Amino acid sequence: MKIVAVTACPTGIAHTYMAAEALEKAAKQLGHNIKVETQGSIGIENKISQKEADEADLVIFAADVAVKEESRFKDKPIYKVEAQKAIKNAKAVVEEAIKLAEQK
Amino acid sequence: MIINENMIILDLEAKDKESAILELAKQALKEDKITSVDDFAKSVFEREKTYTTGVGNGIAIPHGKSDAVKEAMIVFGKSSHGIEWESLDGKPVNIIFLLGVPDKNVSDIHLKILSQLSRKLMNDEFVERLKMADAKDDVLEALSDINIE
Repeated sequence: MKIVAVTACPTGIAHTYMAAEALEKAAKQLGHNIKVETQGSIGIENKISQKEADEADLVIFAADVAVKEESRFKDKPIYKVEAQKAIKNAKAVVEEAIKLAEQK
Repeated sequence: MIINENMIILDLEAKDKESAILELAKQALKEDKITSVDDFAKSVFEREKTYTTGVGNGIAIPHGKSDAVKEAMIVFGKSSHGIEWESLDGKPVNIIFLLGVPDKNVSDIHLKILSQLSRKLMNDEFVERLKMADAKDDVLEALSDINIE
């Protein structure tokens, strides 16, 4: 599956990046293609383009604050969790998100 | 320098979360990275209230953004007895990275170092290296792997 994800946290110093790393690892382990955009203190990095958003099968938000430019993902299945859930068990987050996408 | 050998405490005396943060912050004050332990610690405690920075695997990354911070910094601490941190996996913490960032005018390079460190903490091999480290040089060497793209 083609997954795109956005991570964000209140201070944007640590959890944003830990969640991104965890999701990238988990998705790859499970054999999926993933691109993770971080919205942290540095600003938006590894930005997901509208084209990439359109081509994605599934969107994951691992964020504790509002995701910027959420309109890119309208009409897509979005699985939303707290950033710390992705840090704790990214594999479960990816698996749950895939279930959501398959239902739609 | 965002970290130096004086900003590494290999055997923290603190027995709880609050005193561990204070012990590390005092070290930052000694190294002239912050202007006030109390003001900086306040921002860290506020952050902790949102949700824990005990990310599991024996690691905690308390952090604060405050105008008491002069320049972005990392203080590293190890605890042999383990400190209760309400971690995501419920386990006590042995490795603590206290991160401080100024309120304004933070350089992107520093923020990138902190983001790289955060990412590295998801890497079991890196964490093992830190857990095995029994000299300041071991810690610095492990951290020297962090590359700024």
